[in-house]
Amino acid sequence: MDSVNTIISTITIAKPWGIDIPNYFWFTGSSAAAFIISSFAHVFGWEKYKPIAGVSLLMAFVLLVAAPLNLIDDLRQPGRVLNFFMYGWENFPTSPMKWGVLLLMAYPILIFFEAQALYRPYFVKQAKKGGLLSKLFTFGNMDVSKEALEKDHKKGYILGAIGIPLALAVHGYTGYIMGAVHANVMYHTPLMPIIFLASAMVSGTGLLIILIPLFQRFLSSRKKVDRDMVATLARLLSWFIVSDLVMRFLWLTFSLTFGNGEKYALYSYFTLHFADTFWIDYVLCLFIPLVIGFTKLRNIPVVVYFGGIVTAVGVWIFRWNTVIGGETIPRTTPGYLNYTPPAFGQDSIVSVLSNWGILFALVCAVLLIFPWDEEMEDCYEGVENAK
Amino acid sequence: MEEKNSRRDFLKKGLSTTAFAMLATSQANAFSMKNPGRDAKNPKYIGQVGKHFVMVLDLRKCIGCQACTSVCKVENEVPDDQFRTFVTETEIGEFPDVRKAFLPQLCNHCENPACVPVCPTGATFKREDGIVVVDNTVCWGCGYCINACPYDKRYFNKRTKTADKCNFCAQRVDKGLLPGCVETCIGGARVFGDINDKNSDVYKLLSNFSTTVLKEAEGTKPQVFYINLDSKVEELFSTTQSLDDIVKAEEGFQREWMKTREEAQSNG
Ligand code: SF4
Ligand code: SF4
Repeated sequence: MDSVNTIISTITIAKPWGIDIPNYFWFTGSSAAAFIISSFAHVFGWEKYKPIAGVSLLMAFVLLVAAPLNLIDDLRQPGRVLNFFMYGWENFPTSPMKWGVLLLMAYPILIFFEAQALYRPYFVKQAKKGGLLSKLFTFGNMDVSKEALEKDHKKGYILGAIGIPLALAVHGYTGYIMGAVHANVMYHTPLMPIIFLASAMVSGTGLLIILIPLFQRFLSSRKKVDRDMVATLARLLSWFIVSDLVMRFLWLTFSLTFGNGEKYALYSYFTLHFADTFWIDYVLCLFIPLVIGFTKLRNIPVVVYFGGIVTAVGVWIFRWNTVIGGETIPRTTPGYLNYTPPAFGQDSIVSVLSNWGILFALVCAVLLIFPWDEEMEDCYEGVENAK
Repeated sequence: MEEKNSRRDFLKKGLSTTAFAMLATSQANAFSMKNPGRDAKNPKYIGQVGKHFVMVLDLRKCIGCQACTSVCKVENEVPDDQFRTFVTETEIGEFPDVRKAFLPQLCNHCENPACVPVCPTGATFKREDGIVVVDNTVCWGCGYCINACPYDKRYFNKRTKTADKCNFCAQRVDKGLLPGCVETCIGGARVFGDINDKNSDVYKLLSNFSTTVLKEAEGTKPQVFYINLDSKVEELFSTTQSLDDIVKAEEGFQREWMKTREEAQSNG
């Protein structure tokens, strides 16, 4: 039917969300994943993950502190942030963006207190040597008796247990923001929060696979990478990839085959972007890392690092394809829109890079402040003694 | 000691002034379920209680002259290259079986708007007379409503840097005037009025003619009704085939989206 029409003139209206938004989603997602991995040890008591649980928790914290800056940068009126807190509360049930206020505030505070409980005994040790900051972080509790440690442990457990649903929500709500937009064929699926969570677990694990060996090799007192841990994470990553693929399979098979009239738009989108979605997003960034984790290849660290990098990048691309790709699909004007992020200014490539810069600075700061190395060492000794 | 005391004094004073200032501002911006204008029952925000404004577009009469497009820009000070309403011009068929078709578009002032419930600041809302408006002193420019509107009838105003769209010329309607586009429509294709008034033109048109709305399946219940809407024209909404439009033709396909973005920034 297209052929009988010719548009002589119409107006294309620009879309609101740019590069900051996929980046924000990637940050919150990876934070949630890092938190869940730390909870493997703190809540579920899986000893295997104990040595990396502390660092993962710290990474969850910094990712989430850096993430909201993307949102502020995307606003056209960033000076009016207060309005978000003051007005419009009647929309709370229907505006997932509103939920973000509570989640984004509660979640980092919770992680901070959990980390404080975990590292308190180490802070006490340093405070006794005269560390001022460490003294502050003990919150004045210098007791390192068995009961006090037991209490810390319990506090960590409770906060971790509350934190799991909170971590899922802090990323899941972003999927809600998208899924609620029924005007957009790409966004509108009730599966969106789960798809986002599944891919978040992938990117978060990918990120830890890159970071933890770096910390262990260059910043810890051990100066060597725990190869078993790398292999364990690679296998975990593969399982997360399986769940991600299942979610995406359900989404795409339903919306492309059994969807209503809008399936044609989606079908056309994926035909147009077949090469980059299929070969890059699926084969290179999901399928290859999946094979690495499930085969002997996981014992070769370099190969695993490669898998970690491509999955982290791949999920970023997936976020981009969903958020930006969804916006490019036409809904009142014929033909696809095109978006190239500007190099400078608000919502630009440089602003995203700066956000990464902030993340890097925060990583350095927490690694300096928190005695993660000592705690990790103790965990390893604990494991070795048990053997 | 002397010095320390004065420093402490200074800190004390500083703190109390800040606390006072914070209290004062929070008084001015009191916490609200809606937004300050609505809480104050400002007539601009409440609208004309008891009325329900709708528009009927009689496509048999539209000649695609874009008089509405231009008057809207003047009346509402819409920035360059941005539009609250416009008329899509299409050609259907091929010579010799060919005709022109026009589709004037504007915000549908939906009964069940997709844009309103997602707004996190309460800046956009529906007045009691059905007109959906944006308070550009409250909007923080998140763009959620722009993505939520199935009709693409919202955009970021380059000047105010907030979400903007057709408001049925509420500033005129509240004074008893017609919206600019209705007033200026050469063919008399745009008809506006209160549907609750049985003597109104809109009531008569809606009772006597079969009308259609755009994208009914979205469930937004548009309050802009079309007479003689051709489904082939509406199909253009979902075609992925790239046909020319003005900006694309003038600026090139690659640049259209970025351009608006850059302009918004350079205006700031
Ligand atoms: S047309 Fe769009 S902007 Fe206007 S009321 Fe409906 S959903 Fe909202
Ligand atoms: S852009 Fe403004 S009006 Fe639209 S949802 Fe955001 S705050 Fe509300």
